[in-house]
This record gives sequence, C-alpha cells and structure tokens, in this order.
Amino acid sequence: MANVNTEIKTHKLRDGILSVFLNLVMAVFSLTCIFPLIWMLYSSFKEKRAFNADIIGLPKEPTLTNYIRILTNSDYHLGESMMNSVRTTGLSVLFIVLFGFIVGYILARVKFRGNRLLYVMFLMGMLIPIHSLLVPIYVVFNNAGISNRWFTLLLPYVSFGLPLAIFLVEGYVKGIPIALEEAAAIDGSSFSRTLWTIILPICKPILVTVAIIQVFGNWNEFSFALVLIKDVALQTVPLALTQFKGQFASDYPKQMAAMLITMSPIVILYFAFSKEIIKGMVAGAVKG
Amino acid sequence: MLKTIKPKGWVIFLYLLVPVAAFVFTVFVPLITAFVYSFFEWKGGPNKTFIGLDNYMTLIQDEVFWQSFGHNIYLVVACILGQIGIAFVLVMVINSKLVKFKTIHRTFGFFPSTIAAVCIGLIWNMIYHYQYGIINWFLEKIGRPDLAKVWLNEPDLVMLLVSIPLIWQYIGYYMVIIMSAIASIDTEVFESAEIDGANAFQRAVYIVLPLIKNTMLVCITLCIAGNMKAFDNIYVMTKGGPGTSSMVMAMYGYQISFSQSNMGYGSCISVAIFVLSLIVIGGSQGLLKRIMREKEG
Repeated sequence: MANVNTEIKTHKLRDGILSVFLNLVMAVFSLTCIFPLIWMLYSSFKEKRAFNADIIGLPKEPTLTNYIRILTNSDYHLGESMMNSVRTTGLSVLFIVLFGFIVGYILARVKFRGNRLLYVMFLMGMLIPIHSLLVPIYVVFNNAGISNRWFTLLLPYVSFGLPLAIFLVEGYVKGIPIALEEAAAIDGSSFSRTLWTIILPICKPILVTVAIIQVFGNWNEFSFALVLIKDVALQTVPLALTQFKGQFASDYPKQMAAMLITMSPIVILYFAFSKEIIKGMVAGAVKG
Repeated sequence: MLKTIKPKGWVIFLYLLVPVAAFVFTVFVPLITAFVYSFFEWKGGPNKTFIGLDNYMTLIQDEVFWQSFGHNIYLVVACILGQIGIAFVLVMVINSKLVKFKTIHRTFGFFPSTIAAVCIGLIWNMIYHYQYGIINWFLEKIGRPDLAKVWLNEPDLVMLLVSIPLIWQYIGYYMVIIMSAIASIDTEVFESAEIDGANAFQRAVYIVLPLIKNTMLVCITLCIAGNMKAFDNIYVMTKGGPGTSSMVMAMYGYQISFSQSNMGYGSCISVAIFVLSLIVIGGSQGLLKRIMREKEG
C-alpha cells in the first residue's frame, strides 16, 4: 500500500516538474516572439538620450516627441507612404479577389478550347521563382514607360497573387453542386447574372481567405517596390522604412516609432482577427 | 442543354482578357526579355552588343555568384532544420495535456510571420548593434563585455546571424501548420500508443511523423522556395556584406544590375536564378518523394 502511494506521489511529482518545464518552454518561445514588439513600443516613448543610456529599461519620462516629429516632418513622407501602401494594397487585393474569382470560376466550369492551357499557365505562375523577375521586370516596365507611377506596383502584385487565388477558387467551385447553375439557367438567368448573384455569395469564404493572404503579402512586399519605385512620394511603407534607417541611423527610438506606425494596421488587424487570419494563411499555404 | 456552362465565346473572352493580359505581361514578357538580354553586353544605356554566350561563360567562372548560390543553400538547410525542426518539437510540447494557454502561444508564435521582412531585419539590426544592441547589453550584464562585437561585421559569423531572424520569424508559422495537420489525426491513435507504453519521443517519431509526412513535405517545399528568393532581410541587414560574406543570388543580381548598371550580365544572372531555383525545388521534391516511398516499401 505504502509502495503504491509513493509511486503515485513520484508520478505526480514527475508530472508536476514536466508540466512546469513544458509550460516554461512555451512561455519562453511566446515571449521571444512578442518581445521585440513590446520593446519597441515602450522604447518609442523614450528620448534618444534616455534610450542610449539604458536600452532595456522602461521609459522614466515617457514622451510622444518621436511620434510628433515623425508625423509632422514632411521630409520623412511617412503619411504619404502609408497612403501609398493603403491604396496599393487595397486595390491589389480587390483585383486579385475579383480576377481570381472570375478566372477560377471559368476554369472550373466553362469548357472551351485552351481551358487547360490557361490553367497550366497560371499554375506555372506559382512555380516560377518570381525573384528572378526582379531585374527583367524593371527593364520591361521602363521600356513601356510604366515604372515609377502610382499604379505601377498593382501589376506585379496582382499578377503574382493571381495564381494562388485562381487555384483556391477553382478547387472551391468544383465542390459546389452544378445543379445550382443548371436550375438558374432553366430559370433564364444569364451567365453573368448567375456568376455575380449566385456563385459569388457562395464563394465568399474562399475569397476572404484569398484576401487575408494577399493583404499581408502586399503590405509587406519590398523587393519589387524597391526596383520599380524611385520617387520618394510614391514609395510604399517598407521602402520608407529603409530610408529611415539611413536618416535616423543612431536614433533608435525614432526608428521604432516609425516602424510601429507602419506596422500598426497589420498588428491591429492581426490581433483583432488572429483566429481567422491564422486559419486563412494556413489554408493558403497547405493547399497552395 | 446547359446555357450556364456554355456562355457565348465573347463573354468568356472579355472576362479573361484583362487578368490574362496582365499576367502574361508581368510574368512571361520579363522572363523572355531576360533571356534575350542575357546574350547582350548592355550597361543600361542605348547601346547593346550581341556577345553570344559570353555572359554565361563569365557566370560559370563567377566565384561570387556561386558563393551566393551556396549561401542560398545554407539558408535553405538552416531554415529547414531550424524552422521546421524547432516547430515540430514545439508542437509536441504544446500538444501535451499539461500545457496551458495554447491559444495565446499560437497567436503570439504566429505573429512574427505577419510582419514585413524589412521590419524584422531592422529590429534585428538593433538587436545586433554594437553600442545599443541587446546582445552586447546582455554580455555586459553577465560580465563578459570582452565578447561584444560589431556582430554583422564578422565574415565567419554573418551567415549564421542573418539566418537567425529568418528562422525566428517563421517557427510559429510552421508550428501552426503542423498543429493543424496533427489536429486532423484521430486522437485514438495517440491514446492506444500511450497505453502500449510508447514514450513521448517514440510517439513523435514513429507515430506522428509518418502520419503528417505530406504536411512536412509541404513545409519543406515552402522553406526551400522561400529561401531561394531571400532578399529583403539581407538587403536591410548587410546588403550582402561584409565583402560578399552574406551575398545571396537575388542580392547579387540586384547589385550587378543596379549598382554597377550591368543590365546584360544582370539578365544573365536572373536567368540563372530562374533555372537554379527550379532545379533545386524540383530536385528536392523528387528526392523527398523517393525517400518517402522507400520508407513505405
């Protein structure tokens, strides 16, 4: 009896230690993931001098000067960059969802010569290492006279986002019973009317997934913006940040404030809808 | 019979016109352009001289390019081991009944992958900074200020140091992907294994891993594709330096084309990036599938 008791006790003890250890591992991991954000957040309220004296401590005299200076000084173009990013991301995502839906549906349902050819072409778009286009896209866009415009980045962002969108929509539409469209046709609904009033609402979940993936991807995209945009007034947020790096080389609190401002839409969006966002991103990754 | 599925040809044509044209213009036209210009000597100006395969001959002997390619492979290997390896271990930990706050860990862990690579690079620049960086601050606190370095200036360490932010950023991402794969496995499998006396390690390697091998294959493919195109982090953190110690292919192509405005050779490098990436991605896919089939057989 005593023996069994001690055995249960050691078992409980072992579970206890294991539980502490495992929880600790996860806590440390989570902390390292979120720490930079927190560090930047409270450090951005420090003056440069206070930060340089103590890089890790909490601000003793919290101040908003970094934010005020960044937002009021028009040389930094931060407001403009934010507007450019919002416009570029918004329009790109809109077009990707729109075209992804149209092309995905047509490839899934309409039989015409070249259907499979188009499908393979867009599928290739997913396999093509797009970073090899970095230099040639600059050449092509320059020759065509469409680099360094407000709409320049829409073309690559929409084109690079389309394959995954088409692929996801096509798979989704194939799961919708065709009887639905047959019934609509018998009732005299035209192709376009069926597409927009019947199919579109059904496809909403997959289109939301597409939008989620693309919002993050396009807001954060850097390399093509770097190559195609030269005008400071047209630059997107990641480009603006690399400019800041040079301008505030040793003024970390200011850099942090700038980064937090540009990250804020993404961070707020993420923590407000983290469950849906994680689900959407994972679905996109695994199916793509 | 089906009017819906047989709309008029011009309707379909109109619907497809814009997306297909945009796609061809931004993806295929540049590809062909790069291929054509790779046979020219072209310094970005109006003069282009046809030089046949000269650019390719230069490329084959270009040590910096092959060093860059090696660095891409280094990143691929480091990230497969680091990201997917650590992610798998963490999934085993988080799936234990003893771990609390799973949702919070998931949300926080996934968070870095949603942030721009540029931001991640800038943050880690701060962490590595000589005067105001956290690493040197920490070394001073534990009484070893002699170990402090200008971290990103160390040629031997720089590849490791630039891969750490990359690995860190995506651990949570792969963790969530693997978690969702495991969630779809019948829990009875785990319970019976536990009753049979399999320990945690055995359960992970012999039961979980074979059941989620398709997901692992997806993860590895994502990892390879992602690191063959490494650019943003490197651009922000080191620009390929010191010297060429952290140069990657995309960065090298960028420098040749834009800093040295050698567009002809830059186009040639672009073609090489295209071909090499396809070979590495395709080759590794074939290899992995063969390994998996052999295991089954």
